[in-house]
Amino acid sequence: MKRKIVEFFEERIPLRSIEEHMKKPLPRHINWMFSLGAMALFLLVLQAATGAFLAIYYSPSPDHAYNSLTYIRNEVPFGNFIRGLHHWGASALVIVVFLHLLRVVIYDSYKAPRELTWLVGVLLLLVVLGFGFTGYLLPWDQKAYWATVVGAKIASTVPIIGDAVGKILRGGEEVGAVTLARFYAIHTIWLPWIVFGLVGLHLLLVRHLGSSGLPKNSPEDMDTGKPFYPNQLFEDGVAILILFSVLVAMALVVPVPTEEIADPTDASYDPRPEWYFLFLFQLLKYFEGPLEVFGTFVIPTVAILLLFLVPFLSRKERLPIRKRPVALTITSLSVLSLVSLTILGIRSPKLNSTATAAPETEQTEAPSSAGTEVFDFRLEEGD
Amino acid sequence: MNLHADKAESSPRRSFVKASLFFIGGLINTVIAVPLLGFAILPALRNKPRKFVVLGIVDLLKGSRYKKVNYTFQSKDGWVKTNKKRSVYVTDTGNGNFVVFSRVCSHLNCLVRWEESKRQFLCPCHGGVFDEEGDVVEGPPPKALERLPVKVEDGVLYVKET
Ligand code: HEM
Ligand code: FES
Repeated sequence: MKRKIVEFFEERIPLRSIEEHMKKPLPRHINWMFSLGAMALFLLVLQAATGAFLAIYYSPSPDHAYNSLTYIRNEVPFGNFIRGLHHWGASALVIVVFLHLLRVVIYDSYKAPRELTWLVGVLLLLVVLGFGFTGYLLPWDQKAYWATVVGAKIASTVPIIGDAVGKILRGGEEVGAVTLARFYAIHTIWLPWIVFGLVGLHLLLVRHLGSSGLPKNSPEDMDTGKPFYPNQLFEDGVAILILFSVLVAMALVVPVPTEEIADPTDASYDPRPEWYFLFLFQLLKYFEGPLEVFGTFVIPTVAILLLFLVPFLSRKERLPIRKRPVALTITSLSVLSLVSLTILGIRSPKLNSTATAAPETEQTEAPSSAGTEVFDFRLEEGD
Repeated sequence: MNLHADKAESSPRRSFVKASLFFIGGLINTVIAVPLLGFAILPALRNKPRKFVVLGIVDLLKGSRYKKVNYTFQSKDGWVKTNKKRSVYVTDTGNGNFVVFSRVCSHLNCLVRWEESKRQFLCPCHGGVFDEEGDVVEGPPPKALERLPVKVEDGVLYVKET
């Protein structure tokens, strides 16, 4: 019976050649760092799964977003857990993708013929950050609102077209209902399609070109290592299980930071971005007045362009990292500055503690003949 | 590949088929791309006319010195009719004149706070500092705090919508 079933499928699907593909031997000496790509892929799938379920209850409008999340947290069974996984999974994805990039640099894996794999990789990094930026707004709490206000204004500092870019991002002049709707669409429809398209391309290239292995590998080493299936996949699986366990623990133990509902007039709020954008937040402090655009536009853009060009700017032969002084210096300095800026950003003093509360006045009652457009606000109370 | 196919490769008929294929693809893409882009982008670029809205009653604001006032006005946020909330600092300069500082930092739009002991506006984000005239003292902000256009009518202080 079992043979019958197998035969049935074998006649219709190229199972045999798929199996052959899966069993292809990898280069020798591959270590755990070669599992980082698989870990990133796992996290991406986990985000897609948890996100698809969060979307069942989430409501992308300023009137309901915050409450729909409160509902998920307090009333939906496993709500906190699913949301926790999605929240901490996002941070983990940023970390894992960054480490994966570092491993590609350390083992000199981006060089010919793998330039395109690298290019698609950089695009993936940008998309992952795009997920982070758009997702941060969705809870519509204070940090969500203010990070987006600032983020959109950063986009507005692009020379010449900046104003239009900011408006297109927000869907208008200020962060509001239109912004939330389009961030939701970008976060849950546009970026997932884009990311899975790019991942497909990335993996196609990885498979077509074969794993690069280590720079020290001899030509014979290249196809005499363990097979991808089951050995490498098993190691990937172990790495993924460890990662998953950490995430489950985080989701169960560490509450997702949640703040008050967004308030465009709050006097005492100190806006801060998500931790992986803190380096940029800190960087912006150093460029004063007319130099502002260096922090908001010039440096980030040049950095991204250079990242794209890495495979084309470096020499052809592959060497271990300790024999590439320039690459080693640039990489260490970049990591060092990102880490230091992030730490400075975390420790950056808040105003909250120092400012004395100024006397506050709510709008004094206005005559009803005021020259503002008058809308009818009463909810239609149907029966 | 046989001889026959080789010939067909360069036949005028084959190039016509190829050209048509690209034409069909290009046509469909253009016809759909232009409206889609307009759909996503054009509403965002519309400029709304700015009206004067009520800030408060003059009598109640008499003698104000950098007084924080929160006010709301009815407006539209996309498809939502809403009460927009704003926050400003109001100073009575005498003779029924008022200076109204926007609290929106000229750097990246965080809300500044008036610090009475220092007589400065402090920004909670990247350390911007403005003096009592709203001019930049320190930090990244590229220009002074905005003074909102005001008018007084029938004992009511109005500001230009922001
Ligand atoms: C969501 C993001 C990403 C996913 C899911 C992903 C996935 C993968 C996977 C599964 C592999 C094969 C296994 C491995 O070598 O680890 C791989 C290889 C590779 N990735 Fe990524 N990647 C991502 C982002 C990036 C980034 C940001 C870069 C660099 C800018 C990059 C550059 C490369 C290169 C050059 C290879 C080939 C390495 C070799 O052949 O040794 N990837 N990626
Ligand atoms: S937003 Fe005020 S200093 Fe940056």
